[in-house]
Amino acid sequence: MGVVMKIIEKRAGPESISAIREIVGAEHVRTSKADLYVYGFDAGMHRNIPDAVVRPETPEQISQIVKLANERDFAIVPRGAGTALCGHSIPIAGGIVLDLQGMNQIKEINPGDLLCVVEPGVVCDNLNEALKNYRFFIPGPASSEAATIGGMVATNASGDKALKYGATRDYVLGMQVVMPTGEIVRYGTRTLKNASGYQMEKLLVGMEGTLGIITEITLKLAPLPEKTAVCTAAFRELVEAGQTVADIIAVPIFPAQLELMSDICVKAVNKATGLGLPECGGFLLIACDGHPEAVKDEIRKVREICEKNGAFFMDYTEDPERIENLWKGRKQLLASLSILKPEFATIMLADDMAVPISKVPEAVKGFLEIQDKYDIYIPPYGHAGDGNLHTKVLLDPENPDHWLQAEKAVREIYDLVLALGGTVTGEHGIAISKAEYFHKERADSIPFMRAIKRTLDPKNILNPYKIFDWEKSFLHNLRYPVKFAGKNEVAE
Amino acid sequence: MSAKFTDLEKLKRETFNCTMCGFCKNVCPVFLDVGWDTGSPRGRITMAYGLITGELEPDDDLVNRIFQCTQCRDCWRRCPGKTKCPDVVLAARRELVKRGRAVEAQKSVAKNIRETGNIFADLEVEFPEQEGDISLFIGCQHLSRTNSTKKNIRLLKTLGVSPRIVREVCCGFPLEVMGFEAEREEQTERLKKAFPVNSEPILTFCPGCKVHLEKIYGREVRHVLQEINDRLTPEKIIKPLNAKVTYHDPCDLSRGAKIVREPREILKKIGCEIIEMKHAKDTSRCCGGGGGILTWDVEISDRMGQARMEEAVATGAEMVVTACPTCEQSLKKAARAVADKNISKPVPVYHILDLLFRAIR
Repeated sequence: MGVVMKIIEKRAGPESISAIREIVGAEHVRTSKADLYVYGFDAGMHRNIPDAVVRPETPEQISQIVKLANERDFAIVPRGAGTALCGHSIPIAGGIVLDLQGMNQIKEINPGDLLCVVEPGVVCDNLNEALKNYRFFIPGPASSEAATIGGMVATNASGDKALKYGATRDYVLGMQVVMPTGEIVRYGTRTLKNASGYQMEKLLVGMEGTLGIITEITLKLAPLPEKTAVCTAAFRELVEAGQTVADIIAVPIFPAQLELMSDICVKAVNKATGLGLPECGGFLLIACDGHPEAVKDEIRKVREICEKNGAFFMDYTEDPERIENLWKGRKQLLASLSILKPEFATIMLADDMAVPISKVPEAVKGFLEIQDKYDIYIPPYGHAGDGNLHTKVLLDPENPDHWLQAEKAVREIYDLVLALGGTVTGEHGIAISKAEYFHKERADSIPFMRAIKRTLDPKNILNPYKIFDWEKSFLHNLRYPVKFAGKNEVAE
Repeated sequence: MSAKFTDLEKLKRETFNCTMCGFCKNVCPVFLDVGWDTGSPRGRITMAYGLITGELEPDDDLVNRIFQCTQCRDCWRRCPGKTKCPDVVLAARRELVKRGRAVEAQKSVAKNIRETGNIFADLEVEFPEQEGDISLFIGCQHLSRTNSTKKNIRLLKTLGVSPRIVREVCCGFPLEVMGFEAEREEQTERLKKAFPVNSEPILTFCPGCKVHLEKIYGREVRHVLQEINDRLTPEKIIKPLNAKVTYHDPCDLSRGAKIVREPREILKKIGCEIIEMKHAKDTSRCCGGGGGILTWDVEISDRMGQARMEEAVATGAEMVVTACPTCEQSLKKAARAVADKNISKPVPVYHILDLLFRAIR
């Protein structure tokens, strides 16, 4: 980094807030201290207080607010469920938070055209519950019971099904967006294919609220598989589990889900859920789905590979209840980690690197070495089937030394990931917490990304100081009361 | 800045433990109603953190949001990190009440308990005093329904229970839920004098009383449904109901006391077919009457009740059965509102003991 980045506040003053009240109605605007405080946090580790929280109901209202922001130069931070992990929804320069949870209508489910149309505030699991009646679904992230579709699109979220079913971007056919200058625009189509110019609807996936405010999304549907079976396998060493992942893919077999957990993660899940998984160095959870005969064949091959790589325990189930419980355990792993050591908190650091699949064993080995070197907890787990690995750092959030150790460890993790030809984020995005390493990873393409941002959002209204525009380390605007060298970061 | 929130500060680690994953949001009946993050368990944890760090003052908005929680404890059930959100809320309430920031309507309830020994300030309470082998704690709500309480006691006697009934006073559960800590401590002393127990079993009608008395006496207190289920044999059923019912699990009975099997077994024994709601047993949703919200924010309370009743109506059951007097009251009101909306007849709501009385009399 080197350069000291200066954040120029883009506050919304009382007059702007009055004007917003005129647009959306007073009951849809909140400025109480409690509301502003709560909307200054999300599921990441940063925070900053907005000037108002606004819940619009229509694209037209949003368009008017955006035009007002351009006139009066205040920032707008769109927000779904606030479950993003890297500081996406933090109003770092002040301004208003646009809470889109109230725009939550499923407008259309059209199995014949293989699509659905939803507002951004629809919760992923609620959509899937509706789609289930038609025997379709869309793959979601681990946070699918809370995350909104708008947020998923804005972060290109994905989860444990990405290997076989892809990420959110693969499902976006079209969208309606309020552009950073206030125009309401439709991108994409209602067709499964389109070669009609720049696919702006794809560019806007993963833009983290910096290029537009999504007000409607048209999504492609995936068919619900006829049958799902799950094989679990325990290994003495994490690298054996990692090697098994690479061997399965190389067959080639594309399991619907292929999850890897380290020893500490298995302990956390057992403690939180009582699932009784075998204690081991590395644990794999492998789901195969599709036609019953194909599933049977895939599971047989998977078991052979697990055995060859030294699995000392294997289990197999077709029982939907057991399968649901196993995935529930995995889905809540992130939060479960926080109960392992009561004095430590789970911090979203180095949370979703991706490496080429063949490099998974090398990556997990490296993570464990870095963990030992810095004497902190960095439990690796992840959707190893697509090379997406997670770690979280467990630390005492009031202890500055822990943070500084974590900073060093995380830097090494990212250096390793980049050396292996990977990326700093497979599914969570950049926002604030990964920006420093993103600058290293994408040094040559950042000027062009920035050019797009400057062109579409000349006044830097939408979610400013995120992605390439965050030029500090993650140790700023922390939501925890930690002081570094006598300076309280919280008050910064 | 006001004095430090020392009581709340003891739970600071809970606020760190919360990863803000948001899994609590879509199980919280308040968040599902109000839609703002400030109305979610995660939001309440954040506000508590703000009070601890001194960044937030206990102004009206904050007080309202802290007191909106219904203490249904579904957030705690769902929380992957097992953050004790309901306990954080209770600690925050105690701090707010200490600072004179109690909800006005709840001050009256506390006054009623202090001055009259029951939540309704009813000076004419009829105590069916009698000697027996099991100490029966009836509770304010059931004592206010003289006729039904008489029937419930007859029911117990028919099943061979010999209850000892004294001139009890409120157990203090409402004081705990509303954050009146000093008053709760005083009430505990009054309770121990009014309701002295030795080694005999203790039995309660009310789920809240059960949970609270266990804390006070430090031993098992049985809910009547546990006792009844043990004693209800087929020959005792004279008039089976042959009805399709749905059963609403009261939060304090299901998530609090972990009693979900017994009411279902009893309903089956008296000839009921149970059609479960989408959210049942430990995932049951609040009736709108929990945590003291009924006393001061009737609008939210009513809407929550109606949401629950709509779930009950969706089962197609002939009647809704529950086992808590507050739930019964909230759901009856909700049934009328939902019927008005649907231009239909209200689905009848019964306390399980009323149905049982009909089946065995």
